[in-house]
Amino acid sequence: MKILVTVKEVAEAEDDFDIDGLDIDERYLEFDLNEWDEYAIEEAVQIKEDGDDVEVVSVTIGPERAEETIRMGLAKGVDRAIRVWDDAFADVGMLDPKTKADVLSAVVEDEQPDLVLTGVQAGDDSFGATGVTLAETIDFEWGAVVNALDLDAGAGVASVHRELEGGIEELTDIELPAVLTIQTGINEPRYASLRGIRQAQSKPLDLHELDDLGLEESDLESPLSRTAMYEPESEGDATVFEGSAEETATELASLLRDVGVVEG
Amino acid sequence: MDFELSEEQQQIREEVRRFAENEIKPVATEYDEEEKFPFEVLEAATEMGLNGASIPIEYGGADYSALETAIIVEELFAADPGIALSLTATAFGSDALIEYGTEEQKERFLEPVATGEAIMGAAISEPDTGSDVSSVSTSAEKDGDEWVINGNKMWITNGSVGDYFVAMCETDPDAEGRYNGFSQIVIESDRDGFKSEKITGKLGIRASDTAELIFDDVRVPEDNLVGTRGMGFLQLMQFFDITRTMVAAQGVGIAKGANERALEYAKEREQFGRPIGDFQAIQHKLADMHTQTEAARQLTYKSAWSVENADDQLTTLASMAKEYASRVAVDCANEAVQIHGGSGYVNDFDVERLYRDAKITQIYEGTSEIQKNVIARELMDKGF
Ligand SMILES: Cc1cc2nc3c(=O)[nH]c(=O)nc-3n(C[C@H](O)[C@H](O)[C@H](O)COP(=O)(O)OP(=O)(O)OC[C@H]3O[C@@H](n4cnc5c(N)ncnc54)[C@H](O)[C@@H]3O)c2cc1C
Repeated sequence: MKILVTVKEVAEAEDDFDIDGLDIDERYLEFDLNEWDEYAIEEAVQIKEDGDDVEVVSVTIGPERAEETIRMGLAKGVDRAIRVWDDAFADVGMLDPKTKADVLSAVVEDEQPDLVLTGVQAGDDSFGATGVTLAETIDFEWGAVVNALDLDAGAGVASVHRELEGGIEELTDIELPAVLTIQTGINEPRYASLRGIRQAQSKPLDLHELDDLGLEESDLESPLSRTAMYEPESEGDATVFEGSAEETATELASLLRDVGVVEG
Repeated sequence: MDFELSEEQQQIREEVRRFAENEIKPVATEYDEEEKFPFEVLEAATEMGLNGASIPIEYGGADYSALETAIIVEELFAADPGIALSLTATAFGSDALIEYGTEEQKERFLEPVATGEAIMGAAISEPDTGSDVSSVSTSAEKDGDEWVINGNKMWITNGSVGDYFVAMCETDPDAEGRYNGFSQIVIESDRDGFKSEKITGKLGIRASDTAELIFDDVRVPEDNLVGTRGMGFLQLMQFFDITRTMVAAQGVGIAKGANERALEYAKEREQFGRPIGDFQAIQHKLADMHTQTEAARQLTYKSAWSVENADDQLTTLASMAKEYASRVAVDCANEAVQIHGGSGYVNDFDVERLYRDAKITQIYEGTSEIQKNVIARELMDKGF
C-alpha cells in the first residue's frame, strides 16, 4: 500500500511586521511545516507502523528552502519525498487550489497511491480546499475534516469520523483509493528522533520540474491573484479584567452598564 | 574554514528546542521545587532518543559526534539545567564502555541506556577525593572470579536512580606511579552491599539526582572490569576532554537561556514611561551578555570539533572552553537577574533558577581552578 501525504511549508509572521508590496516582509516571517500536515504525516506513519509493506511518500510544491521542513517529515518516518518546483512557480506567485490540485494530480498519476492524506487547510492562506479539489480532479473518493481514522487495508475501506459544524460528528466508510483531509488533534505528532534525523539525511528527496510531470507553464495560470495586502484597522478594544471572579464580575457589570448593553 | 552548522545540525537544534519548549519548560519549576527526578520527561525524551545521542547505532543510539551532542546539550540547558542534566547524564560514564568495553559489555550496558530502560552514572569523587582524582581509595580486590568492592563515592549524579555506575576503584595499591593501579569497574545498584543516599538541599540543578554511594563488600563478576586493569586513571583522562567540552556546552546553554529571558523582559518591562530596554545601561548589559555567550559558544564548538579532528589541541581547548563558558554562564545568569530586578529574585521567573543552576558548571568535571592548571600545564609543557 502506498500513502501520499501532501505537505506545505507555511510562513508565520511575528507579532509586529511590515508589509512589503503584496506580501509580509520576509524578515518577519518564520517558515515551518503547516500544522495540519504534521497530523497528516503522523497518521500516515502510524498506518505504516501498524501495517505491512506500507510506503509513505510526501509531496510538496515549494522552493528549495522547503527542503528542511520536508526532511523533518522524513525524520519522522516518511520514506521518500517529492518536491515540485520550477522557476515558473516563482513567477506566478499565488497558486489557487485548483491549480495546486492540477499539479498534485500529475504526481498522483506517477505515484498511484491508494490513499492521499492532506491537511484540512494551510495556516497561511487558509483556503481549506486543496484536498477536496484534488479528490475531484483525480476522481478519488474523499472525506474532509477527518478527526479519527480506522483503516482496513485488506478490504480497502477507511472508516472515518468527520467533524461537522456545531460539534456534530459524521461516521462514514470511504472506499479506497481516497483523499482524506486530516484535522488537528486526530493523533499526537511525534518529535523527530535523533536516529530519525540521522537516517533522513540519506532518504530520497527528489525534485520534479514541470517537464517531469508533463505540465507546462500555462497549467499554472490561476484565475485568482492577490491585489492588495494590508493590516485591517482594529475596530474594537479589548478590556482584560484581572483578579478574582467576584471582582471581575463587578467590573464587567459596570462596563456593560456604561456602554449601554444593560440598563439600570 | 566554515562557521555554518550543517542542515542536519540545524534540524537537530530545532527539534530539540521544540522538545524543550513543550516538554521541559512548563514543568521546570515544579521539579526544582520538589527536588525530584524527572522520570516523566525522561520517558518522552527516550522516544526522541535524547539519552542515546552519542551511543553507537548498533546499540540503539544515534552515534552523534561531540559537536552534535554539544548542540543538543546547549538547547536542553537553555530550557532548564536540572532536567537537562537528568536527561543527558543518563549515559554518563558510557564513553568508557564505548571506547574500552567488550562486545558483551556494550550489549549489556549501552543498549538499555539508549532504549531508556536503564540509567547509568560515573562514580569517581569520594568524600576525600575531589580535585585530586588520583587519591581514590575505594578498593576492589579480586576474589576468585569476582571483584569485592569497599568504599564510598560522593556527589554521584544519578546515584539514587541509576542502575549501574562506572566506578573508579583502586585495584593495585602497590603499583608504581601516582596514576597507576586504578581500574574502572561497573557496579550495579541491585548488588548486595550497595547503598545510596540521596543528597538534598542543593543550590541548583535540583531536578538532577545526586547521591552518596556506599559499597560494603559489593561483589561483581570479573567481567565488569572495563578496559585494562590498572589503567583506569589513564582511561578516564581520555574522556575528560569530551566531558569538559559537554560542561562547556551546558554553560553556553545556561547563558543563552538567561540572555533570551533577559532580552524578552527588557522589551516588556516599562519604567519612566518606556521599556527598560531603551536605557543604555540595560542595552550594554545585553550586548555584553550576547557577545560573551557567542565567544563561549565558538570556543566550545571548536573544542567539540577537535574531538574528531584535532586531538593535539583538544586538552587545552576543552579546559579553556569549560572554564570560560562556565564563567559566562554565571555572569549572564547574574546579569539576567539584575535586568529582572525584584522579579528576578523569586521563582516566578526562570532566571532565578538559572542563577542558582549556573554555579555547578564551575565546580563539577574539574573546578575552574583545575581547568586553569590544565591550561597552564599544557602551555608550559608545549613550551609556548
Ligand atoms: C551536583 C554535583 C554533581 C556531581 N556529580 C559527580 C559525578 O557524577 N561523579 C563524580 O565522580 N563526581 C561528581 N561530582 C563531584 C565534583 O566533580 C567535585 O565536587 C569536584 O571535582 C570538586 O571536588 P571537591 O568538591 O572535592 O572540591 P575540592 O577538590 O576539595 O576543592 C575545593 C577548592 O579547592 C580548589 N583546589 C583544589 N585543588 C586545587 C589545586 N591543585 N589548585 C588550585 N585550587 C585547587 C578547588 O578549585 C576548589 O575551589 C559532583 C558534584 C556536584 C556538586
